[in-house]
Amino acid sequence: MTALTDVQDPEMPINIVDLGLVYGVRRDGPRVDVDLTFTAMGCPAYDLLLGDVRERLLQEPGVEEVRIRVVWDPPWTSSRLTQDGRDALQMWGLAV
Amino acid sequence: MAIDLIEAPSEMSGDYLKELKHTLVVSGDTELISAPAYYLAAQRAPSINAFMTGIAIIQDELAHAHIAYHILEDLGEDQEKLIFSRDPKSFRYPYAFDVPLEDWTELIVANAFYDQAGFCLLGDIHEHCSYGPWKRGLNKVMLEENFHLRNGRNWMKKMSAAGGETKADLQRAVDWMFPLTVEWFGLPDDLKMHSKQLEYKLKGKTNDQLRQWWLSLVVPFCEENGVQVPAHKEGEDFVLDYPFPCTFDAEERRWDFKDPCTWDDVLVRWRARGPRNAEMVAMFQEEFHTFRKAHANS
Repeated sequence: MTALTDVQDPEMPINIVDLGLVYGVRRDGPRVDVDLTFTAMGCPAYDLLLGDVRERLLQEPGVEEVRIRVVWDPPWTSSRLTQDGRDALQMWGLAV
Repeated sequence: MAIDLIEAPSEMSGDYLKELKHTLVVSGDTELISAPAYYLAAQRAPSINAFMTGIAIIQDELAHAHIAYHILEDLGEDQEKLIFSRDPKSFRYPYAFDVPLEDWTELIVANAFYDQAGFCLLGDIHEHCSYGPWKRGLNKVMLEENFHLRNGRNWMKKMSAAGGETKADLQRAVDWMFPLTVEWFGLPDDLKMHSKQLEYKLKGKTNDQLRQWWLSLVVPFCEENGVQVPAHKEGEDFVLDYPFPCTFDAEERRWDFKDPCTWDDVLVRWRARGPRNAEMVAMFQEEFHTFRKAHANS
């Protein structure tokens, strides 16, 4: 999960963990399974974020395979933002 | 140290206001015209996800145009007239957008090259602009342009790594789009040193400084990813491997590196506009007038 704080939302100054997109990460030897959601089903950065998550996790020692399951239930809402995420967005001028 | 910004027309000289408006029109027109130019190519996206990304980028570009036109309205211009009633040839955007982008490959190269040019130009304005409302408005524009750029770069990486015909297709697009973007930054400094935009701190970098900035970002990226571009680094600067300027066949979208030309020749080409100018402008002007007419009769 810590590694995924390096993955930034491409349009806002916030990482995907603080944005609340990561529902779960499980490590099983060389394989990592990620449950990931998006703020909207029509997220324009869908492919970009999947690529960034995969690329970042493959940099972790011993990780050879990354499986990402896109999860729509429960749907993302702003309540999933962490306090750090709220602070980042508020500093940037967004009401959250 | 806080920098005193100009916040209202009452604080401007007439000449500053004129130069600010001109710079805003160029910015608004460039963002606006990128929408129809990108839309024609986005329709050929290879997947629904890719199409959504393309459409989101177009939505961003329209919003960026709106910021510039909205500020122009605050400065006394009529936004509706500016967008919907001007002659296509009077729009002030780079010539590159008059040359059609025909497929997804060309769209993603435009994201990597044209949006990088936009990022450099707007980044410079964002950093140096003496007009407060525009400087602040650009905060979000910069982040969104970064997203467009990343989309372009990610796809270029993927297509180059795929090799074969996919890589050749990418290289074909780069071959005509790279020199067209080099041209984007305008006349070289030795022909246009004095700029009121610099004097009034509407921007901070000269044409050649901006061109070098763009080259310093694009050339290493292309080299790292096995994409050939006609430029290389020599000392601190990037040097073009072809005569600049040289002739361009807009219909064939082909540069003739063996046929140098003068900047006067380039200015004639720019002023005549490119093959798609009228069509691009009509894409957002026609329906506005059709809709107006329909409502006037109802």
